Formats: sequence, C-alpha cells, structure tokens
Amino acid sequence: MPLTRRGFLSQGGLILFGLASRPLLGAFRRTAAATKRWAMVVDLAKCTSAKGCRECIKVCHDIHNVPDFGGAKNEIKWIWTAPYEKVFPEQEHIGEALREEPTVLFCNHCDDPPCVKVCPTGSTWRRDDGVVMIDYHRCIGCRYCMAGCPYGSRSFNWKNPRTVLKKINVNYPTRTKGVVEKCNFCVERLDQGRVPACVEACPEKAMHFGDLNTEGAELKKLLLSAHVVQRQPELGTKPSLYYVI
Amino acid sequence: MDTSVSPTERSEAMAASGVVTGRWPAGSGEYGPLYKPVGTAGRSFTLIVSVLAGFILLGIAAYVYQWRNGLGVTGLSRQIFWGVYITNFVFFIGISHAGALIAAILRISKAEWRRPITRAAELTTVLALSLGVLNVIFDMGRPDRLFNIIRYPQPQSPLVWDIIAVTIYFTASCSYLYLALIPDIAFLRDHGTKPKWLYQILSVGWNGTEKQLRIFKKASFFMAILVVPIAVTVHTVISFIFAMTIQPMWHSAILAPYFVTGAIFSGIAAIILAMAVVRKAYRLENYVKPAHFNNLGILLMVMALLWLYFTIAENLTAFYGREPADMTIFWNKLVGAYAPHHWAMFVLCFIIPFPILCLRRTRAVLGTSVASVSVLIGMWLERYTIIVPTLTSQRLALGQPVYFPTWVEWSILAACISFFILLFMVFTKIFPVISISEIREGEHEALADFRERLETYFPGKPIKS
Amino acid sequence: MIYDGKKIIPGLLLFVSLLVSPVLFTIARGKAAYVPKLELKAGAKECVESAEYMRRNHMTLLKNVWRESAVRRGDRTYVSSSGKTYTISLTGTCLDCHSNKAQFCDQCHNYVANKPVCWDCHNAPEGNN
Repeated sequence: MPLTRRGFLSQGGLILFGLASRPLLGAFRRTAAATKRWAMVVDLAKCTSAKGCRECIKVCHDIHNVPDFGGAKNEIKWIWTAPYEKVFPEQEHIGEALREEPTVLFCNHCDDPPCVKVCPTGSTWRRDDGVVMIDYHRCIGCRYCMAGCPYGSRSFNWKNPRTVLKKINVNYPTRTKGVVEKCNFCVERLDQGRVPACVEACPEKAMHFGDLNTEGAELKKLLLSAHVVQRQPELGTKPSLYYVI
Repeated sequence: MDTSVSPTERSEAMAASGVVTGRWPAGSGEYGPLYKPVGTAGRSFTLIVSVLAGFILLGIAAYVYQWRNGLGVTGLSRQIFWGVYITNFVFFIGISHAGALIAAILRISKAEWRRPITRAAELTTVLALSLGVLNVIFDMGRPDRLFNIIRYPQPQSPLVWDIIAVTIYFTASCSYLYLALIPDIAFLRDHGTKPKWLYQILSVGWNGTEKQLRIFKKASFFMAILVVPIAVTVHTVISFIFAMTIQPMWHSAILAPYFVTGAIFSGIAAIILAMAVVRKAYRLENYVKPAHFNNLGILLMVMALLWLYFTIAENLTAFYGREPADMTIFWNKLVGAYAPHHWAMFVLCFIIPFPILCLRRTRAVLGTSVASVSVLIGMWLERYTIIVPTLTSQRLALGQPVYFPTWVEWSILAACISFFILLFMVFTKIFPVISISEIREGEHEALADFRERLETYFPGKPIKS
Repeated sequence: MIYDGKKIIPGLLLFVSLLVSPVLFTIARGKAAYVPKLELKAGAKECVESAEYMRRNHMTLLKNVWRESAVRRGDRTYVSSSGKTYTISLTGTCLDCHSNKAQFCDQCHNYVANKPVCWDCHNAPEGNN
C-alpha cells in the first residue's frame, strides 16, 4: 500500500519522538561511579578569621584575577566570610563568641548541584571528580545558576573586570562582563597534582583537601573522627565541603 | 482567479446563494467605521506616535548604555540579580494570555459577544509575547551569545522548556491571528485599499467560496482548541523557572496555577483597556457595546476572586508551616522592606477593582477601564514581589538589601509599553482592529445557530420567537 | 542610449568609487605593498602543527579541539599530526613562543581587520623577543 501523507506524518512523528526520547532520558541519568571525589574540610577551631586573617581569600582572588569592585552591589567573591549564625542558622543556642565569628565560605561543589540542573546552555557542569566547572566561553549570563544555588556561592560580572583589576596574574585568564564565576577548587592546580591555593596558603593549616574515594585517606579519617557539619544538607545537594566546628 | 466575471457580479451571485463571502458590493457603507481607520493617519495619531517613538528612543539609548557598560548600570546586585527585566518578562507573557482566553475559549464556548474583541485579543498576544522575549534578552549578560541556547540546549533546564513553549505559542498565535485576518484582508483588497499589492498577496486568493469557508471554519476551530493547552503550558513552564529551584517561597507547587491565573487576570485587563481606547479613538461605540464591557468585567471579577484564592492559599500555607527560610521572606513582604510593594499590589489587584466590578452600575466602560488599569499595575507589582523578595534570602541573609531599579530599567520598561502601544496602533492602520468577517458571520448566522442550539435544550416544541 | 542615463551613469560611478574607496585610501597612504612581518620569540623552534595548517586552521584547533578537550573534558594532552605530544594550554604552549601579540598576532589580524575576542579574557602576551 503506498505511503499516504498521513502515514508519512505519523511515522515521521514516531521516529522523531523515539530519537528525542533518548537524549531526554539521558538528561535524567545519574552519572556513573567516579574515580575521584574531591572534598574539603575546614577546621573552624583552627581558623583565625576572627582575628582578621584573610589569607585564603587574598591568595585565591590574586591568582584567579578576581576583581574588587568595592561595595556589596557588584562584588565578586570566590571565597568570603559570613557570621556563624547565618551560615548554620538551624542551631539555636550558640555562644556569644561564636555567633558573629566569620566563617569562610566557598562553592560547595555539590554532588547533586542545583545550579547545574538549571543552566540552559550547559555552561556549568559537574566533572567526574566532583568539581563543578564553568565554561566562560559558553555562559550567556542569564544568572539562572545563581538562582539555583541555595548557598549564594556564585557571582556575576556586572561590569568589565579589567577596569578594576590592578594586577593581573598572566598565568590565569580574566573573565568578561556578563558571565557568572565562582570558586573552581583550583582545577588548574588539581590537574597538576597540587592542592587548592587556599589550602596551601592557610597559615594555620586549617583546611584539609583530598579524595574521599581513596581508601585510608587522611580526609576520610578526619571526617570519621571529628564532628563535621555541612551547610543545609537537608536540601539534598550533597555538598563536598565539610566544617569541623 | 476567474477574471471573466466581475467581482461585483460574483459577490452578488454568491450572496444570493446564501454564502457569506469576504466581498461586499462595491460602495457599501456597511461596516464603514471598521475599515475607515485603515490607511489614514490624523494629527492626533502622528502626535501620539511621536511621543511613543520618543520613549522608544530613550529605551534604545538605555540599552546601548547597558550593552557597553554591563548590567551593572541597573540596580541589580550580587544579592538581587533578577529584577525589573524578569518581572517584565513574566508580566508581558502573562498579558499574552488575553488571546488564548478570548479568541479561543469564547469561540469554543460559542459566546457570541466575543466577536468585536477577538482581533484585538490575538494582536495583544502576539505583541506581548514578543516583548516578553525581548526582556529576557535585555536581562542577559552576554546577549551576543543568545544562540547558545539553540546550539547547546540542556533538556533538564526549565529555561529551555520555556524557550520551546513560548516559541510554539508564538507560532500558534501568529498563525491564528493571520488565519482570522484572511477574510478581512480580502475585504480590504476588494475595496481597493492601498497598498493594493499588500492585500493582494496577503489575502492568498480568498474568495469566500464554500470550500474555503468550510476549511476556514474548521481551521479556526482547530487553532482555537490548540491554543488553549499551549497557553496554559506556557505560563506553567514560566512558573517552573522559579518553582523548580529550591529557594524559599519559590519552590511551591502552587506557583504553576497561580501564574496561569494571574496571566489570564492581567490578560483580560489588557483587553478591556485596549478595547476601551480603540472604541473611543475610532468611534466604534456601535460595535463595542456596554454589554461587552459588562461581560469582560464579570470575567475580570471572577479572575480577581481566583487570584485572591491562590494568594491566600500560598501565604497561609507558608505562614502556618513557619519554616524559617520561608518566614524571612514572608515577613519581608508583609511588614519588611517589600511591604509597600506587596500591599500596593493587594490594593491594586483586589481592593480597588473588586467593588467596581461587583456592582452592575460601575461595571461599564469607564469602571472596567479603571479597574483594568489598577489590575495591570497591581499584577506587575505581583510579579515583582514574587521574584525580588525571595532573592533577599539566598538562605544567607546579609542584611536583606533592597533593590532600587535605575533609569536604565525604567526607560526600558517605558519603551516596552510604548512599543506595544505603537505596534498596536500601526496594526489598526493596516488591518481592521475589529474582525469584520466575524461580525458579519455573527449578524448573518448567529441567530440561526443559536436558535438551533436552543431547540436541542428544550422539549421538542418549536421555540416561540 | 540608457534611459535617464544622465542620472544613472554618474550615480553608478559615484557608487563604485565609494565602494572601492577603502582600497584607494590604502594605495594613497602608500601601504598597498604591506606584508605582515611575523616575529617569534628567540629560539622558538617548531609549532604544534605546520605553518600552512595553522594559518588556515588555528581557530578551529583552538576552539573546536583544544577548548573542548581541555575545558569540558579536562584532557590536556594533544597528539599532533607529527606524533608529538603537547600540553593543551594557550598561555603555556602557544604563547610561550608567540610571546608578543603586537609582533605576531596583530601583524596579520590588523591587516585583515579581524579582532578575535579571545583577548577579552586570555591575557595578551607582551613578552620581549
């Protein structure tokens, strides 16, 4: 029987549906078990941010050419501090000294990152080893990832950063106005086998970085021995950042 | 096209055989006011166009300034990174539901009073959709990379769903607007309206033959049915942009029906306002009667009640649950920095319009217009208070900064509204703003259809006339 | 003769002269014989690929091959057509030899008036040759 127009359309539609369903289902597929899983533990007892130390922030922002626009409106921060009671708001009885203590905050490099879920162009994605990456070439600056992140970890370039950057580290690119950026766990250093710059720069050695999947690793031992908390774990984002109170 | 018979002869022959055609006998003064504005431009038209063009130029200047200096020229910040542009986006796409409701639902439910309104409704849809999309582009940090969404779409992102849904809705609306326009374009062609070539091409050979009419009626009905689920999907998907995040007061299942209701609410208000202005400007009092405003007013009142229902449901649920993250935003809206916006919204969306619309006496042209203006401003504020206060939280309230839009954002909003009005006005000068063919169909066929329907409802006796 | 020729021919001549005016300007400025002079860092040996290949394809290599591999897959190893292995890095590999933008990249790019946007983010090399 010759193919009628209706038949062609219905068959074509079925074929298209079949072809489209594969990538659609793929989008909901969980990633396969990874080889590495990078994580960081910040020991708040050792951190001297209360005494004014901001070494980690200085080093990170220096080597990554993070601009300082002055003021809260256009600020870009890869690492920053906030009062303890705001970081862990679920705790009711906090000592006076601890309440206002500046707690260092980073991108949590979640295992189920809500920012990655909502990005329309795939400019942010979770690498197999746990680092949540940004492709500055592809970002369209819609800031949906900023809306997705429940921790406020992402910053947007409201203006051209090169207008305020005083010293540029030539070994690392800057960004342009109109893209989102955040802490990247120093992937350029991780790929060379080094630890993130903040971890290395901390004068109190209050930060520990490592691979959770390695058996017998330092980090795993620390996590199992100390009392660690995370920021809002009930949200289901599975952060890779832990705090020792 | 058969050139051996003159147009007048053919249309007379067709009229005699009972077929409603797109042609009228030459020199007919019937429906004169409906096509009188086409091709003419008076002094007031030129004046208004100049004022609107001024605002549009200001908006263009503001955008060029923003393009060159970055989005930092707006009032947006690291904390409040979505503001006026996204509010405009949701607001305009909300207004676009006017077309879906009036043109489609009223046609499907065979409401005869829809006839003078459908053209303006569909036009509002097409224009509002375009402006909604334009505001997203204004909001982008790298608009030069706009096509990255087409090149690398991520199917799990609600923004991609939104692009797909809005594209489908835009295509369907444009098609529906054009389809319904065809008989009217043929009418203008036959009346020799200049430019003749334009109407000749656009009328695609419409002659009002029986076969064409049959296809036309089927296609119109099909499009009307198609547009309704598409419209509901569009605003649901837009609500998903917010509801699919895990931010307090956004991550709520009620956002989807809330947005759809709000969209239809603001859409009807836009239609009332558009019809009131068009009626006055083109002296169409004979075609757009108080009954139309009465019915639209009732619809607006019903939507106001629905809107109130969803507002109460959302706020009561949040308040009763006392979740700390939600409560920060809740108090922010009720008594905090965003209280003026929130309460202004409530007054403008409900307190002012509802009494006006309840009383038959005030539910006339002026009353419904006043209510509509109030609703439109109130609904803009509603979108604003959905989007902005949540961003003060980010689960890390560092002093709840308030957002002050700058001249750039206000200029672009003014330019968008001006652009809408301008395109609307220009359309009315090229095509009839009230569907002549629908009015004619109503006058010739509606009574018979209605009688037929009535007879199916009642016991088998002929209806007394 | 051409209908309305008195208007058309001068208009046509004006149009053509406006069209080729950039070329005329270049000739007038004496730059018609300009040839780009490319200079590399002293001691620079061979590039990742041959010069002919690079002249035509360096953008394709950088955008479609290197960028995808390094940024999106984290794979910074590139095996060239000659079999040698290189580290994928614009700053570390390419700009190590092409160490001065004005003396290398700009020579050709200014000539063809093509301004790539790479330098908005990637730091333009200003090394001494």
